[in-house]
Amino acid sequence: MSPAIVVDGLSRRFGRFTAVDDVSFEVGRGEVFGYLGANGAGKSTTIRMLCGLLAPTAGDAVVAGARVSTQPEEVRARIGYMSQRFSLYPELRVAENLEFFGGAHGMGGRSLARRLEAVLERVGLAGLGRERTQDLPGGMRQRVALAGAILHEPAVVFLDEPTAGVDPWVRRRFWGLIRELADGGTTIFVTTHYMDEAELCGRVGLMVAGRLPALDTPEGLKRTHAPGRVWSVRGGELPPEQARLRLAALPGVLDVQSMGAGLRVRVDRHATLGADDLAASLSGTVEVEEDAASMEDVFLAVVDAEAQRVGTAAAFGEA
Amino acid sequence: MRRGLVRIGALAAKEALHIRRDPFTLYLALALPLLMIVLFGYGVSLDIDHIPLAVHDEDRSPESRALVDAFTAAHEFEAVGALEDAGAAGEAFARGRASAVLTVPAGYADRLARGEVATVALLLDASDAQATQQALTRADALAQVVTAEVVQARLGGMQVAAPLSARAWTRYNPAGRSALFLVPGLTAYVLAIVCVLLTSLAVAREWERGSMEQLFSTPVGRLEIIVGKLLPYLALGGVQVLLVLTAGAWIFDVPARGDLVVLAVASLLFLVGMLGQGLLISVVTRNQLVATQASTMSAMLPSMLLSGFMFPIANMPGVLRALSHVVPARYFITVLRGVLLKGTGWAELWPDLGMLALFATLMIAASTARFQRKLA
Ligand SMILES: Nc1ncnc2c1ncn2[C@@H]1O[C@H](COP(=O)(O)OP(=O)(O)OP(=O)(O)O)[C@@H](O)[C@H]1O
Ligand SMILES: [Mg+2]
Repeated sequence: MSPAIVVDGLSRRFGRFTAVDDVSFEVGRGEVFGYLGANGAGKSTTIRMLCGLLAPTAGDAVVAGARVSTQPEEVRARIGYMSQRFSLYPELRVAENLEFFGGAHGMGGRSLARRLEAVLERVGLAGLGRERTQDLPGGMRQRVALAGAILHEPAVVFLDEPTAGVDPWVRRRFWGLIRELADGGTTIFVTTHYMDEAELCGRVGLMVAGRLPALDTPEGLKRTHAPGRVWSVRGGELPPEQARLRLAALPGVLDVQSMGAGLRVRVDRHATLGADDLAASLSGTVEVEEDAASMEDVFLAVVDAEAQRVGTAAAFGEA
Repeated sequence: MRRGLVRIGALAAKEALHIRRDPFTLYLALALPLLMIVLFGYGVSLDIDHIPLAVHDEDRSPESRALVDAFTAAHEFEAVGALEDAGAAGEAFARGRASAVLTVPAGYADRLARGEVATVALLLDASDAQATQQALTRADALAQVVTAEVVQARLGGMQVAAPLSARAWTRYNPAGRSALFLVPGLTAYVLAIVCVLLTSLAVAREWERGSMEQLFSTPVGRLEIIVGKLLPYLALGGVQVLLVLTAGAWIFDVPARGDLVVLAVASLLFLVGMLGQGLLISVVTRNQLVATQASTMSAMLPSMLLSGFMFPIANMPGVLRALSHVVPARYFITVLRGVLLKGTGWAELWPDLGMLALFATLMIAASTARFQRKLA
């Protein structure tokens, strides 16, 4: 079975600025593929090119079997898209919005009506068709927008920051829906700012300043980019900044980050440094617990590596 | 093909919902044209009516009263009272109580009886030159009528052969009422502005909200978007035409003497042309504010100045006359005046219909062609 998305050397420049820089990857059918990156990293620009909304300046992509550069019509018929900025007309009712997007895909009559019911049911909004969209809370609106993107049963669904600005509980629920869709065979391409959401993806691509320096499963990414053991350190009598410097100076410590009330210390897997050594380096009662590497560790490590590669701090964006 | 129609239907239905839910659009489309017709119809009227006339009758004879009655019976003048002495005239003018004063000197009846020339004085506030001109013409005519009556009475009811005189007859608008002439022009003018504005906002709004991006991710084509946007506004425009023409007939007694099918076809073509111009503007500007300005400039000025609405095209300098050929309101006004006032039909008006059709086609083609289906 051919992959759902094949991206080959995709680039996009705006004037002299390169928003997407020679990106290549593949996404399998039924996969949940996450795209993680800071503001302005080039996530939306990539999606727009894959949806045929923006012409690439170089490279090409095949989406659901149709070539973006030469068969944009076919691409549009086979994808669903939830844009970052807009997804619904607020003054229309829920059902009116969905009828419109269904109609825009050439659906009509009985089959549209049946499908509309089914989709509302699926996103957990059965019976809410007559609500004015603008009166719904943000989380529900997002689910209506998702319903609009999957109404015509597309093979690939692009979701550009679908959960921006909604609370964690609602986000969890939304990701449950994404999971179900993928289990049903739909390919999901989703962008996010949230590290915890990245953990929920089958594979994650990390975008930094238009480039894609890391791409793997969340576990794979952690192994490659945040190796070693992670300890969480709390307590002690030293001021945090001094404690940080102390810990960072120990042999085998890769990096130290502040986390809430404590510090996260990443230690080389081959170093002999243990919990007791960490506690001993700080005075007072110190609590040390083993922790797991997070996507945040990965993200920071990758951004660091990119910054060094480029030789400037420009790659930081504003994560 | 069937899918294309479904998509156009979906776009049109959605747009109709926007129109129904947006009070401003409804106001713009329905209330504004009516309001403009009524305000302009009265305000721009070139007729002078009811000039306040004060009378200073020193003669107080049946003859002098007959003269005064003849003046006040005409709707151009309206009696506002009698003055006691000649000095009061200046005061009446200054206070704005009267714009005309008719003085009948003592001895008016006697002079008439003796067969002498009897002179009366009409003082006019000439600060409005055009009104003065019309009042003078009217007064002259009234004086002649009264003279004729006096002469006839003197000759004991004998018919006298009138001396040879030339008379100008105005056809189509015998009373010379400017409302008859203005309402067709006004109709075209109002429709032009409102239609261009409506569609220019409709597409620019989608760009500004970002919904155009969502739309582009679906299989809808450019022409489908254009047509889908156009249809509901065309229906709205049809209602506008009916509303405005009904108001014209009702308030200003504008007749409908010719072939109404011709009028309907012309309205349709004109509406498509103007709505198309609005679409073109918003496809190019992508911004509601700029679109509003561009619409007003490009629809209002030509439709007012170069269409024959305010100024006769025949009197324009060559360059402007040439320019007027690309103003669709010009052709629509010709059709409106033709059908409503002259009773003309296909035979006379087909060239104008042809020009309207050409303009409509050009606008739709241009907006579709300029419609970039890409975001940047
Ligand atoms: N049409 C455009 N013209 C010029 N520059 C653009 C255009 N679109 C995007 N950019 C620039 O390209 C860069 C990448 O933008 P993009 O929207 O893809 O980022 P993103 O990763 O989606 O960011 P965010 O998380 O804020 O949505 C940004 O610096 C942006 O300013
Ligand atoms: Mg974005």
